[in-house]
Amino acid sequence: MIPMLFLYPVIVSLILFFINSKLINILALLGYSAIYLACTATFFFAPAEFTTYFKTDTLNIIFIAILALVFFGVAVYNIYFSYHSNEIPQRHTRYTICFLLFVCSMTGALLSTNLGLFWVFIEATTLTSAPLIFYDRTKSSLEAAWKYIFICSIGISLAFVGIILISMGSAQINSLYFADLYANSSKINLFWLKLSFPFIIIGFGTKMGIAPVHAWLPDAHSEAPSPVSAMLSGTLLNCALLGIIRIYKLIDTAGLIYYGKTLLIIMGMISLLVSAVYVVKIKNYKRMLAYSSIENMGIISIAIAIGSTGLFAAMLHTLAHSLAKASFFLTAGNILYKFKSKDINNIHGLLKNDKFSAWLWVLCFLCITGFPPFPLFLTKFLIIKQMYVSGNYVILLLFVVFLTIIMAGMSVSVFKMFFSVEHHHHKHAPDKNIYDLFAYLPQCVFIFILIVTGIYMPSFVHKLISLSSKF
Amino acid sequence: MKNFVIVLFGLTMIHVSSTSRIEAYVKTLAMQGILLFTMVVVDNKDYFGLNFLFLVIETLVFKAIIIPWFLMKIIRKNEIFREIEPNIPAFWSIVISSLIFGFGFMLSYLSIILAQDVNPLYFGISISTMITGLFIIITRKKIITHIMGYMMLENGIFLLTLSLINEMPLIVSLGVLLDVFIGIYLFGLFFNKIQATYEKTHIDTLTYLKD
Repeated sequence: MIPMLFLYPVIVSLILFFINSKLINILALLGYSAIYLACTATFFFAPAEFTTYFKTDTLNIIFIAILALVFFGVAVYNIYFSYHSNEIPQRHTRYTICFLLFVCSMTGALLSTNLGLFWVFIEATTLTSAPLIFYDRTKSSLEAAWKYIFICSIGISLAFVGIILISMGSAQINSLYFADLYANSSKINLFWLKLSFPFIIIGFGTKMGIAPVHAWLPDAHSEAPSPVSAMLSGTLLNCALLGIIRIYKLIDTAGLIYYGKTLLIIMGMISLLVSAVYVVKIKNYKRMLAYSSIENMGIISIAIAIGSTGLFAAMLHTLAHSLAKASFFLTAGNILYKFKSKDINNIHGLLKNDKFSAWLWVLCFLCITGFPPFPLFLTKFLIIKQMYVSGNYVILLLFVVFLTIIMAGMSVSVFKMFFSVEHHHHKHAPDKNIYDLFAYLPQCVFIFILIVTGIYMPSFVHKLISLSSKF
Repeated sequence: MKNFVIVLFGLTMIHVSSTSRIEAYVKTLAMQGILLFTMVVVDNKDYFGLNFLFLVIETLVFKAIIIPWFLMKIIRKNEIFREIEPNIPAFWSIVISSLIFGFGFMLSYLSIILAQDVNPLYFGISISTMITGLFIIITRKKIITHIMGYMMLENGIFLLTLSLINEMPLIVSLGVLLDVFIGIYLFGLFFNKIQATYEKTHIDTLTYLKD
């Protein structure tokens, strides 16, 4: 099954390059996402392996499942997006090819069993997604793409330094396979391991979007077309997170857990602080969602550092955040298409013009800020409880304060848009057609999945998350 | 011989941090490529392996010829010759880069005490090269200089990998090479786009997106 996931995008990209048809492009992307979903379903029953480099295990299966789900939703939304975009077929083909290769490189990163190979694929995600961010060809998207590619390249280089330092320390093991590193963690020289972890967390953290190395994230997320923003936020950040978790486990088995925890908590708290500061006075609603991504990545890293129940919460949070944020970005795409503006103050009469998007907008907001019955309520509750149990009162207090500020800041913007009054009536309402259905379907499905998970978690989901939370 | 080459490599970084001519940056990059090649030849024991061939291609062909040539092409095409008004004067640049080298040697001294398994000169110079690369990126204003600072950072990392060339699997080095190559290609592509869009390739022009 795994070779299929790699072969399909490469072969299909070659074919698409010579055809240049929008319809075929859309179908190719949909086909890949359907195959992806089917392959992921088989991974649940039979763990797959392809050479020694790619393998599914209890940890990465949940990330693969998230990628498959979000990608399928985005591919469906892409029908609506492509139908309404005025790009010439050549550019649309280039967009589709980059999209296919982007998903392919994320798959490689998630499945790889070797630290070096993981790094190569993470770098590949930067290279394949930079043209996607530049899709609109405006001045601002050029700026965003440049910042993205440059900052992430530097970050990834620093992560590579971390990897070199790890292999220096593990000269006796002479292998960069995660399994070998874990099994022989007692042989690793602690000096090099200690030196490497800041490099790793800064390096992959750049890609994951935690502060203070988040500078590319708001720009790229706000300038990319909405399906791409959804993929960036819902799946790309998770890939880098997986790398950090893998190295964190190494730090844990080598007996430096306290050191790792401290770094994660510091970075997580700075992330919360940064998004709390910026989200309050935000003017661009896509940037608001980007800051919310930074916040959630911060929450996840804090939850991992808190340990025990926090680990379960971190995994559930990753799942729920990806689905919720993807639907949030897709809904933002609907609003952007209707109003042609990213400025919150330019949105007038959202409820009247587009009832579905307006309600989805509020639902996504309730979901992402953790109102019951959505699972993010459960995860935040578990994290706070674990902080209380383990006696981290200062962290608990800061955590709650920051989260409240962020929720207040977001709610002001979201409800301003929702209740905004229309000053002048739109004369020509865009004619409705069947493709508009695809603008709402993915979000509805995602929110349905989230509500089900929040109210009654099916046993296989519970098993999946608790297995992965044991790393 | 080996130590002499490493020290020369460190000196190129100090030279770069004091100069304001763009072409000097490119020449230094080519020079660093040749120095790294010398180091590969001096250091290697197996002259017929695949790994050696690969390293020669990476250093001599890519780092010493293709990338400087590519950068030179961009510079000639866009008529950029001088790094005007860096954020801090050249004198302080030298002082700070010397301090960075001091820090690098301190760290390598620490590594001798705590871990005996690495050549401290390698480690000290490569760490300080990386930090100086970052320093150049922070203090210079032209985007092309940023790209070259990034290349110097990459060279520093390459120097660090040389010290454990037997442990790094070939596939990883291959991936690194490919990434650097595509990265530079993309940098050039976007650079030309920025040049065409903004007419001025200063980072001061890239301030449209902010909060």
